[in-house]
Amino acid sequence: MDSTLPAVAEELLKEIKKAFQETSHDTFSFRLKFIFGPSAVPALDLVDQRSVTRVTSPSGRAAYQVLGSSGKLYTCYSSCHFCTCPAFGFSVLQKSESLLCKHILAVYLSQAMGACQELTVSEEQLTSILLAEEEDEG
Amino acid sequence: LCRGGLAERLCRLQNRERSAISFWRHQCISDAKIPSDKSGVLIVKILEMFEECTIQVAICQQLEQSPATLSSEDVVISAGEPILKVLFARETAAHLKNRPQDIIHIYPPWQKLLLKNADVPVIMNTYFSQKVLLTEHSETREKTYGLTKMLVRKNVISLAQTFRLDDLDDELRQESSDNQVACGPQIHNNHAVKQHPLGHSTVNDSLLEMVESQGAVGWRETKVRVVIQRVYCLPAREGYRSHIQGNKALRMFYRLCLLVQDAYGMFSEVQLQSLSSSDDIEQYCRRWEGKFCCLSGMKVLQRTTRGRALGLFSLIDSLWPPAVPVKVPGQSQDSEMMTTNLPPPSFCYILTVQSGEIHVEVDEEEQISNLYQPPVVHGLKDILQIDGCNERCSFWAQVLYLRLQTKHSVPINQREIWLFVTDSTLQDVVHVTPKVVAVSVAASCVLSTGMTEALGVASRPVFFKDALWGNGKIICVERTVLLLQKPLLYSAAGADLSELAGPVRLDELDSTTQANSVCALRGTVVGVNESTAFSWPTCDRCGSGKLELCPQDRGLLYCNQCSEVVISPVLKMQLEVFLSCPSRSQSTVKVKVRHKISYGVLSIVRLGIYEVQSVLGKEVGFLNCYVRSIISHPNCVVLEEIVLL
Repeated sequence: MDSTLPAVAEELLKEIKKAFQETSHDTFSFRLKFIFGPSAVPALDLVDQRSVTRVTSPSGRAAYQVLGSSGKLYTCYSSCHFCTCPAFGFSVLQKSESLLCKHILAVYLSQAMGACQELTVSEEQLTSILLAEEEDEG
Repeated sequence: LCRGGLAERLCRLQNRERSAISFWRHQCISDAKIPSDKSGVLIVKILEMFEECTIQVAICQQLEQSPATLSSEDVVISAGEPILKVLFARETAAHLKNRPQDIIHIYPPWQKLLLKNADVPVIMNTYFSQKVLLTEHSETREKTYGLTKMLVRKNVISLAQTFRLDDLDDELRQESSDNQVACGPQIHNNHAVKQHPLGHSTVNDSLLEMVESQGAVGWRETKVRVVIQRVYCLPAREGYRSHIQGNKALRMFYRLCLLVQDAYGMFSEVQLQSLSSSDDIEQYCRRWEGKFCCLSGMKVLQRTTRGRALGLFSLIDSLWPPAVPVKVPGQSQDSEMMTTNLPPPSFCYILTVQSGEIHVEVDEEEQISNLYQPPVVHGLKDILQIDGCNERCSFWAQVLYLRLQTKHSVPINQREIWLFVTDSTLQDVVHVTPKVVAVSVAASCVLSTGMTEALGVASRPVFFKDALWGNGKIICVERTVLLLQKPLLYSAAGADLSELAGPVRLDELDSTTQANSVCALRGTVVGVNESTAFSWPTCDRCGSGKLELCPQDRGLLYCNQCSEVVISPVLKMQLEVFLSCPSRSQSTVKVKVRHKISYGVLSIVRLGIYEVQSVLGKEVGFLNCYVRSIISHPNCVVLEEIVLL
């Protein structure tokens, strides 16, 4: 049977996009919390802080970079749901507890609300963002 | 959390809701009532359940009345009864312990969502839900619940299923603009524009009007005509850099930026595409500065003010007042109404490009605008005498020596570089000012790889455009550009910019010498710091210091680079010597000296003996040195011998 949750999440985000052009945001706040649970407030906070940047290259390829609360920069793909943050690996991939991590949700919310920053880079640079290796600590 | 932001609001709402839920649940347990005709209550019977992430999805049939009033046999699924998809949050599901055939009462406020392509409505925010137990079967049911653990199927959600927020008509509009791919470096701009005309767009000449009328979203239709006053590179956002770099060798990203001015004298900084450091900023400066250009497809990144962007405004101040009278907004544009008597700007819009569009049409063929103010070049002597702080200045100077900051925790291309420079105004005249000045180049001042290579190789003149003078120092920061050639246009302000005649002279070490400067000294060697002395042989052909002992004859040296035996190795020696200098007789002068002594055929054993004795008592004459530090107690000057470029 086809899954239900993604369609619900998508419809909700579409409504948020439309609602944002109007005035009241409280109507979607509750729904956001219901569907996305503990990610909702942190994601909205990331949107408030304009932490999401859409990075594009001349070929049209895009990725998203989100400046997390710790100051670390995470990369979210645009072609599928993926984020370089540890919470994604844990909650989404390993435990299938959430559809998205707070960074991916922040990307969608920023798109819906027109709060995305834009950055254009060269092909080379975008490739290196997408292929970024793990940073060695110490 | 941001004050008044969306997150804070949700937090508050959430807290209120949480207490409402627990209050309601508590009430249900104590009251144990079954409201049947209360409006707004949804009565459903679960047909099927599964789990997705932590949400429980229940396919339900909506019931007209509470089944408590019907007998169990009557509660049968009949075709035509509406089907719903009810979502329960993890906590609610755990509380309810749902099973198929259960009847649930869902109290308001619940929410309904209608999906576009589906018939089945979705019910969510079902926090206030209660299970109805049919009294006859309650006992058996409880026994069943206790014994078997309910296994609920879990649906796996694919990561490939992304969300599309645009409706079809929005999508169509998007596609048409996506086809216009942004060009690479805009040198070819003029031609590209002729192929993709922006239609019947009107050309405006006021930045302020554009920003205010089009809003922050973007200017798709109209264009603004402005003059490019300066072209420079800015390092990319901090967060952006630190992600890529970490502790490894790094690549810096820079954005090409323009400082433009419109016909009303208003400035704006336009941030264009990224460049890697190998791109040549000089090209852009030569081709674009002073020319007119039309901006379109811009978006306002920020409106910044003097207090927040000191660097940007110091550059704007250097271009104020305007070179020619500018228009006054709101007045009819007779020439009498134009003025240069305006206060310097207090705010500036920072614009950035929107993706997928051609933004900047530079009219390279046209003449330089009258509004353009080329950099005013001064001799170093005049700059050192400027009164004031945070003044932008431009000069043409010879770089004699380069020194890199030695902090190892800072990545190489974020380190400060010190350039020791001079020009004819400092060299040719005997006066109080120093002969050589130290210019600090901060990491925020972008140097092209061509510039970095050129600086390290040989002494050469460099044009410093819009460096910053303040607190007795010249520094190169953001918006300063270093060029290898003099710009096409500059105003010489009476300075003599001729090439240096004769060899460069340094100040002699004396009581006024400061740390972090270069000087010349002479004296006699009175002591050697033997603990730090060492020497090493180098290959006389290639200069490599990595020589090995020959396997065949352990008395000879072999160079791996040249793949040959080294017959006459050049001995390099590093010593710290103490000198007695007549020009600064009260201080102990310690100099790290590098000495090159060439030997004939030599065995390794004998190399060690020659160092110290050959050096004591020697007269050292006019050594060029870098002053590392000056210690007052005991009075000591620590220097390092350097080789000027």
